Amino acid sequence: MQSSLFLRSRRVRTVAGLAGVLGAVALVAAGCSGDGDATAKPGATPSGGASKVDVTLTAASGTDACELSSTSVPAGPVTFTVTNKDSAAINEVELLLNNRIVGEKENLAPGLAAVSFTATLDGGAYEFYCPGAEKDTVAFTVTGQAAAAPTGSVQSILADGTAAYGTFVQSQLAAMVVGVGNLKKAVDAGDLAAAQQAYATARPFYEKIESDVDGFVLPGFKATDNSGNLDYLIDMRASSLDPAVGWHGIHAVERDLFGKKKIDAGTKKYAAELATNVAKLQDLAKGLEFKPEDLANGAAGLLEEVQANKITGEEEKYSHLDLATFAGNVEGAEQAFADLQPGLEKIDPDLAAQVSAQFDAVKTTLKKYQDSSVLGGYALWTPELRKTDAATLSRAIQGLQQPLSKVAEKVATAR
Amino acid sequence: MNGYSHDDGRFSRRAFLGAGVGGLAVGALAGVGGTAWARSDGADAPAPSDGVPPATAYPFYGQAHQGGIATPQQRHAIFAAYDLTTTDPRGLQVLLARWSAAIAQFQRGRSLGAVEPTRASAVPTDTGEAADLEPSGLTVTIGLGPGVFDERFGLADRKPARFGPLPALPSERLDPKLTGGDLSLQACAEDPQVAYHAIRVLSRMAQGSAAVRWTVMGFGRASAGKGQSTPRNLMGFKDGTRNIKSDADLAQFVWHDGADQAWMKGGTYQVARKIQMNIENWDSDFIADQQAVFGRTKQEGAPLSGAHEFDVPDFAKKGADGEPAIPATSHVALAAHENNGGLKILRRSYNFTDGMNADGQINAGLLFIAYMNDPAAFVTLQTKLGQSDRLNEYIAHVGSGVFAVPPAPASGSYVGEALFS
Repeated sequence: MQSSLFLRSRRVRTVAGLAGVLGAVALVAAGCSGDGDATAKPGATPSGGASKVDVTLTAASGTDACELSSTSVPAGPVTFTVTNKDSAAINEVELLLNNRIVGEKENLAPGLAAVSFTATLDGGAYEFYCPGAEKDTVAFTVTGQAAAAPTGSVQSILADGTAAYGTFVQSQLAAMVVGVGNLKKAVDAGDLAAAQQAYATARPFYEKIESDVDGFVLPGFKATDNSGNLDYLIDMRASSLDPAVGWHGIHAVERDLFGKKKIDAGTKKYAAELATNVAKLQDLAKGLEFKPEDLANGAAGLLEEVQANKITGEEEKYSHLDLATFAGNVEGAEQAFADLQPGLEKIDPDLAAQVSAQFDAVKTTLKKYQDSSVLGGYALWTPELRKTDAATLSRAIQGLQQPLSKVAEKVATAR
Repeated sequence: MNGYSHDDGRFSRRAFLGAGVGGLAVGALAGVGGTAWARSDGADAPAPSDGVPPATAYPFYGQAHQGGIATPQQRHAIFAAYDLTTTDPRGLQVLLARWSAAIAQFQRGRSLGAVEPTRASAVPTDTGEAADLEPSGLTVTIGLGPGVFDERFGLADRKPARFGPLPALPSERLDPKLTGGDLSLQACAEDPQVAYHAIRVLSRMAQGSAAVRWTVMGFGRASAGKGQSTPRNLMGFKDGTRNIKSDADLAQFVWHDGADQAWMKGGTYQVARKIQMNIENWDSDFIADQQAVFGRTKQEGAPLSGAHEFDVPDFAKKGADGEPAIPATSHVALAAHENNGGLKILRRSYNFTDGMNADGQINAGLLFIAYMNDPAAFVTLQTKLGQSDRLNEYIAHVGSGVFAVPPAPASGSYVGEALFS
């Protein structure tokens, strides 16, 4: 069975090209600094402390340029202090070795205080990359060998994260199989209240990992045929109904339990088929492996789900449990981010802090809707509540989407 | 890797590539301030009556005032008001600095970074819909709402004395969802897609720091600037015949002298009102009444006391019936500076339409934008208009915002930087 399946990928999965570790280079520290650092003397300092390189972004005579106070330093820690004097075109810089990012700074607008980052560099031919500059790449040479061996490459830290995330995905699939099993039992017993409760319990698991597992097609089916599309068979809803294939899956059960408010032979058929398909999914997903950018793209995909289907109230049209599934999407995205965070903190601590703060903001917003007396644990997303509160929730998610959208590129190009 | 080069056309928008760019725009691109197009008082270059060539690029840095105020009014506009969602003064600074740099790029006809990044996992920073369009005379004007000076940002002592939320005014029916805002952006261009692109990308950049509160898309200028023919509003009447057009009036009524807050010197205040028109009712009104409501003729735009558009209204002149030729409750009579102690404001309005409303009526009207060096000028005029203007029968003010507009930044700075120093 597994031999003929294939994974439909909605996102471009980049070829990571991770083969070959590129010398011992570690980003030891990076962060914002005030004007104090900007006054550091330019030029290399061969011994004692970090070498200092001033990077100045200018637009003198209308040409945007990226100027380095020194283009050759000895191996060891190097601090780059970046000042955007007057270039509107350049808003980020990167230090690259063999096209992989060693260090960087973003949000470099004229008028803002200088910022710096420090990397421990081994000998090699680096590039200082300033997108937007007329000459956007400056050759940067590091001579000799770094004294201290770096501790743990960013890639190995990220690899730990992706392995942990793989375990998380499997745990959610296992929990979903159990949850859907309980739903089937309650439906088979004809107990509407118990079935509604079981629906609410089973619901969030798929939402936490949906973007990782929504690409499976059953053996023997074409990618365009929804009758072999596991995501359709499990998670289709009224708005995505393919008349040729009809109602299936968890929302077909939802429609009966919360819309018709009765269990009939059809409901039992939907629940039984759902249990079968969820088990198939668990089976198919067993070998799934993730690259760091898959986690970032997956998290972004879950937030797209929130914006497209939860805030609109479309996902849980009958049960109004949208906020509970919203929370599931956010929890899944946060898990993916948490597994990237230790690596991302080495690559771009500012970005890691921004994403972390925005996750906190989303959770704080969501917390206001928690209500243990309601099925699913959150206020029902009724049309009335949506009318008054949708904008607030959408804004919170937008604030998270913006920094999160930058993570995939960072971790994909990490050394 | 290095895919942002100018040669592949990704980073630069088409107009920047050289061919067909007029000398004026090149001058602007080269950072030569004070070109004829950059100034409303350019005596050496006649301002066009309707629009400027698509290659026109207004300089952003190093001007006395932000663009989009005394700039010859462009045909299209998007106005957006934002709520600040950050409470960190540094977050506000970074937003204003990044907005400023991006606007400088857009006004030159450039994109914000690569439209098509070379790394497969990169998300494009520019949304791309203006990639092949010329600068189109774009200006983007940044305004700061009263909320910038509340307890969140530690800037209370920088609030100009005359600045604050507008008081409730007679006859207004403000919708809270269309009212207020901590920041404003007014993007004006000859091509609506260029203006839209600017607001879209700037709004996206703001995510996490500020969120759009309300927005209006204006089509067709509905005010006349210096040297421009007088356009018509959606009621079919000429609008802006007596608008501020001279540098002397700009200096007296529009530009802030910085007396109480030095950072506002060369700045101004912006009042934006979304004015709904009862289009169907207006369209069924007979012509004599329409003219009495405005105090002008419809075709020529002449005051009812005269024969030509630019005849000075004579409010004392009586008609055959012994009543004033220009009715005292007409819009012109109530708004005229002669009847308001000499008070003038610079109007820079646009027509708008939002399709149909929920009641099956045309949802359209005037995006009224005005500039003045004291918001009290608008309050004085609108209080009077709201009390007795016959036009109130056919309009309703449904959206409102007031913003302090700092001067243009010097090269290497950003709009509002002086506020934080």
